[in-house]
Amino acid sequence: MSRLRLTAILLMLLLISPAQAQDRPVLSAFTLGIGSSHIADTYLTPLKYEGWSVAAGYERMQAFKPSADSWITRLYITGELNRSINPAGNARMWGFELSASWGFIRRYSLPYGIKLGIGPALSARGGCLYNSRNSNNPASAKAAITADATAFAAWNTHIGSLPITFRYQPTIPVIGAFFSPCYDELYFEIYMGNRRGLVHPAWWGNRFELNQLVTLDLHLGSSSLRLGYDSSWMSSRVSNLTTRIITHRFVIGWTSEWLSSEHKKATTNRANINSALY
Amino acid sequence: MKRLIHILYISVIMPLLMSSCHDIPTMPDNSRGNFEALWTIINEHYCFLREKGIDWDSIHTVYSHRIAEDMTRQELFNVLASMLEELKDGHTNLSSPWETSYYRQWWSDYPQNYDSRIIEQYYFNFNYRQLGSIRYGVVADNIGYIGYPTFASSIGDGNLDAILSYLATCNGLIIDIRDNGGGDLTGVERLVGRFTTEQILAGYMVHKTGPGRDDFSSPFPYYFKPAPQGRMMWTKPVALLTNRSTFSAANNFVAVMQYLPQVIIVGARTGGGSGMPFSSELPCGWGVRFSACSLLDAKGNTTEWGIDPTEGCQMDLDPEAALHGHDTILDFAIQQLSE
Repeated sequence: MSRLRLTAILLMLLLISPAQAQDRPVLSAFTLGIGSSHIADTYLTPLKYEGWSVAAGYERMQAFKPSADSWITRLYITGELNRSINPAGNARMWGFELSASWGFIRRYSLPYGIKLGIGPALSARGGCLYNSRNSNNPASAKAAITADATAFAAWNTHIGSLPITFRYQPTIPVIGAFFSPCYDELYFEIYMGNRRGLVHPAWWGNRFELNQLVTLDLHLGSSSLRLGYDSSWMSSRVSNLTTRIITHRFVIGWTSEWLSSEHKKATTNRANINSALY
Repeated sequence: MKRLIHILYISVIMPLLMSSCHDIPTMPDNSRGNFEALWTIINEHYCFLREKGIDWDSIHTVYSHRIAEDMTRQELFNVLASMLEELKDGHTNLSSPWETSYYRQWWSDYPQNYDSRIIEQYYFNFNYRQLGSIRYGVVADNIGYIGYPTFASSIGDGNLDAILSYLATCNGLIIDIRDNGGGDLTGVERLVGRFTTEQILAGYMVHKTGPGRDDFSSPFPYYFKPAPQGRMMWTKPVALLTNRSTFSAANNFVAVMQYLPQVIIVGARTGGGSGMPFSSELPCGWGVRFSACSLLDAKGNTTEWGIDPTEGCQMDLDPEAALHGHDTILDFAIQQLSE
């Protein structure tokens, strides 16, 4: 009963938030990244491979309607492709991954255009490493579902007369579950029905991942040029197999904030706009 | 300032700490480093060290003395290939840009017991049907014959339907898998599915679960299903012809078929090769292949050393008869199926 009452009070507090009258533009960013990859997977090879990495990303941020001054939502979808070679230069490893993360971030607006945020996120990712020289163990599938902690620090300022937004956003999976084949287990055995020991609880002791995104948005009229850097550092050890995938990429992209046409007509005052980041 | 320190700690120090727990040892790309890398790969991954009674530690001692920093790559290759030969495993190779090492004694120490020309010329007068690498036709006493030289090239269900339809009126069927060096296990499953009308226990798989020499999974039973309804099936008597070069997936085909009631195995002991090979590599870039996952038959027996023919059906090809165009193993199988 007390839990029900608490939930009702929380809902009321959210609903009576004065921000509900504000417009909440959607910040959309489309980015491309290019950089380096550093990959090791002992299911495939004991050697460390190095090469290039490319990625495409989509980010969507918006103030959360019931409590627009305090909370924002963030959707971040990326797809990446890596190609790396062994130290001798005679074997190639391809890697691809698709990931999606939805975050619910408590935002704090500070003086001098500074915004800080911290909150939870749910992420799902899946992909594969493929080593072209291997016969019965050519690929190592990757999949994980994690509950993450994410945060950002953003600074809205100017370079001369050009408004800019600088942001640093790290994301760390905290707990979850991930897939790994067993040590020396053939995918044929999995195909024939042996699914034991393939899904593992994820925690920092067996799977550590840190994703960092640094962006500089140069506001050029109604849209912005995004320049940045994103890095991903994933290290896991389970079933006596170690995987390490590290990528560093420079990012370029385009961002814009948009409102539904209904809101555009109603909006007359910039002060009524509650931007998630800017 | 405190917050900044926390951010720095999270973003820089923690990844280093966490990933250092997941260390990946690396060996230098020199003679000693490549030797140690190969020895370690086999030590941690090879699945038959215990079963074959191999003292891998003493092999390290013996071959370590043969490693010198000033040796050429060819000399290093020779030493490493010799070390791998100690495993007596046809699935184990070392691949450099100029040479791939093979252990050949599993077949070279035995009579070949097969000459495809004899069959093509004296049993078919070169009038056999060919579908990819498969040869088929009808031999004496209305016995069907399928020469199945590999499981490496995939054959479709429609192909099998065509072959079995052509031979449907035969009284028995010979599947000649002499010199069949293996290929894909999915091809084995597809072919076995034509000879059973119910799901059968095909065998067990055991894989290594860690670097320790006794780190193995519990045997996992795997099953083969009959071909889907509407496909051509064969339930009449079958004779499999085998020799020492019947290896790997072909050996697995025999391991499964031997327990079907209408099947006899005729010829010589198969070559074995029941370890499913994994691939790895050395710091210098040479590839390594080795057995990592053991396939047991439906009774839980290893078939790494080969499978004996059915009792009373073990025989070698008579070389003198072969000179006169007789494959005595094939003749024996025809006789068995005609009775």
